[in-house]
Amino acid sequence: MLDQIFQGVLDGETPIVQAEIKKALEGGISPLEIINEGLIKAMDEVGRRMKNGDMFMPEVLVAAETMKQGLALVKPLLEEGSYQSLGKVVIGTVAGDLHDIGKNLVAMLLESSGFEVIDLGVDVSLEQFLAAVEEHKPQLVGLSALLTTTMASMRDTVKALSEKAPGVKTMVGGAPVNQEFAREIGAGGYAPDGAAAVELAKSLID
Amino acid sequence: MFKYHKGGSFKVFSEEDLKMIHEATVYLMENVGIKVYNAAARDIFKQAGATVDAEKGIVKIPRSMLESAIDSTPSRILLCGREEKNDLILEGTNTYLGTGGTVLYTLDLETGEKRLTEVRDVAQYARMTDYLDNAAFFVINCYPNDVPSEHVDINRFYHSLANTSKHVMGGIYTLEGLRSVIKMAEDIAGSKNKFLERPFLSFITLMISPMVMDDKYTDFLMEVARYGLPITTPSEPLAGATAPVTLAGTVTINNIETLGGLVLTQLINKGSPVLYGTTSSIVDMNIGTYMSGAIESALINAGCAQMAHYYNLPLYATGGMSDSKVVDAQAGYESAATAMVVALAGANYIHDAFGLLEFCNTLSYEKMVIDNEIVGMALRAVRGIEVSKETIAAGIIEQVGPGGQFFSHLHTARNVRKEFFFPKVSDRRPRQAWEEAGSPDAFERARIEARRILNEHKPLGFSEDMEKYLRETYPGIK
Repeated sequence: MLDQIFQGVLDGETPIVQAEIKKALEGGISPLEIINEGLIKAMDEVGRRMKNGDMFMPEVLVAAETMKQGLALVKPLLEEGSYQSLGKVVIGTVAGDLHDIGKNLVAMLLESSGFEVIDLGVDVSLEQFLAAVEEHKPQLVGLSALLTTTMASMRDTVKALSEKAPGVKTMVGGAPVNQEFAREIGAGGYAPDGAAAVELAKSLID
Repeated sequence: MFKYHKGGSFKVFSEEDLKMIHEATVYLMENVGIKVYNAAARDIFKQAGATVDAEKGIVKIPRSMLESAIDSTPSRILLCGREEKNDLILEGTNTYLGTGGTVLYTLDLETGEKRLTEVRDVAQYARMTDYLDNAAFFVINCYPNDVPSEHVDINRFYHSLANTSKHVMGGIYTLEGLRSVIKMAEDIAGSKNKFLERPFLSFITLMISPMVMDDKYTDFLMEVARYGLPITTPSEPLAGATAPVTLAGTVTINNIETLGGLVLTQLINKGSPVLYGTTSSIVDMNIGTYMSGAIESALINAGCAQMAHYYNLPLYATGGMSDSKVVDAQAGYESAATAMVVALAGANYIHDAFGLLEFCNTLSYEKMVIDNEIVGMALRAVRGIEVSKETIAAGIIEQVGPGGQFFSHLHTARNVRKEFFFPKVSDRRPRQAWEEAGSPDAFERARIEARRILNEHKPLGFSEDMEKYLRETYPGIK
């Protein structure tokens, strides 16, 4: 059953995964085992395949969504404190920018890799980012920009965060952004794509 | 069965044009004739009712003889691989692309220098073709300069068959060589009948333009036709030199020549499988030499493809070469443009589409890899756009709605692999990732891949016993 859950996530077959999870639970397999040996293990495999170019982004996203649906079934059954997320991430597209495909992708990948993600959406002002940090106390803030014109907002937001919430690390991404720009504005890290963003988040939290 | 798609959406001729070219062909065959240097062939034509002028060697083929030969030639030819997954069905507008030659030189994969090709190159090019997913067949593309000429045929075919289970086709150098190769094929298949049932190799002869049948090659043609193996009778009229500069005239000459060969095969063995053939191109008007990467060559080939479709004959055509001396931008654009045009025309068996440079004189391992990408793109274009309820996806568009996104939709994940072509050589990474990888250009990426393929790919090959038997029986094998 765990094998079917694993394969079902890889194939993005949500109904199959849900049915197999029910069977596994009835068969006495613990929720934690289902998560670790089925769902998370599958997403680790997804990450590997994506890195090798064997899985395309839409397939990854469908797998991530399936994993999320599966997780929703087992999570309520977990004993308090037995399942710990890798960390908390606040994420959003910076002020003035309405593009969100890249940001959504990173949010989904982070979530399916075991992070808790608070997605603030698009056109997020500096003040909104600060308020969210205050409220959710994340370890990480992810900022996205697609337009070259909104790179200034990214600079301002990163600067404000480093002043007002020095304990929180920042990571940036988006088409016009690169490593050099990230360094220049004082961001904690830059990732060129979704898979790299997950790796970066893991390394920043360590 | 090897994957194929139906070409034919690109047409250079109207129905009326095809009829005009056919009528001109009949007129010229009946009134001017073909010069046939082979006396035995002339006798066969004469006995069948052609007008033969023995002194001048001219054979005039009447309309009825031509049209009945076209009728008796199979419209569907099965070219097998040694594994069924590599079988090709040549009919209608089924489109396949593969290698061709025959060249004397290759660019060395290690030094980049031009050097003579050897037995190891025959083996390596066959092995690479076996691996490359868009190459449908292996037309033996080089000459082994390191074996005595009497052993060339057996070495070319043995090392090809040992390194690819895709269909092997090749030219022949001696009649004895041809006979040994056929004997070897029977040994591999188990018997003559088994071999003819699943012909995993076939032969190429040639016509000489304008309107000449050679003595030696006609011997080969008759031998293969008697045996009943698939053969092609291509001709290579060069517009402006051995054919009129007008492309319609060149297609007409090509048509006369290849049909002349086809008639002979049908007179010898009615119903034997023959491919209509063209390797036609132009000459450069500054120097007067043959060009392989000219766009006009692609147009002539597209025209011949339409003639073959008009006659309902399977077709051997040419495309995807370049006259560049190295693998550069010219190599890319000439190969891409010519392969694309001939593939879209629906030519069945497009040879020369892999690895060729410099007037079909030199091969490149790197270009094999790059051409696999070009052919992949051409085949994607041939496949066109599938239209159905599922592909129009109105329901999905409705679901996603204005301002939404399709990237993470199940419909995308389920359809992306059949809708998109996924390049292996093209670099689509962001600049930073590309720079971090050492800024490799297409040539460098292809070189790495070529080396990887040759190091890692294991073809079907022969069993130990079979290899031992073949080497003992045919001691000329190097």
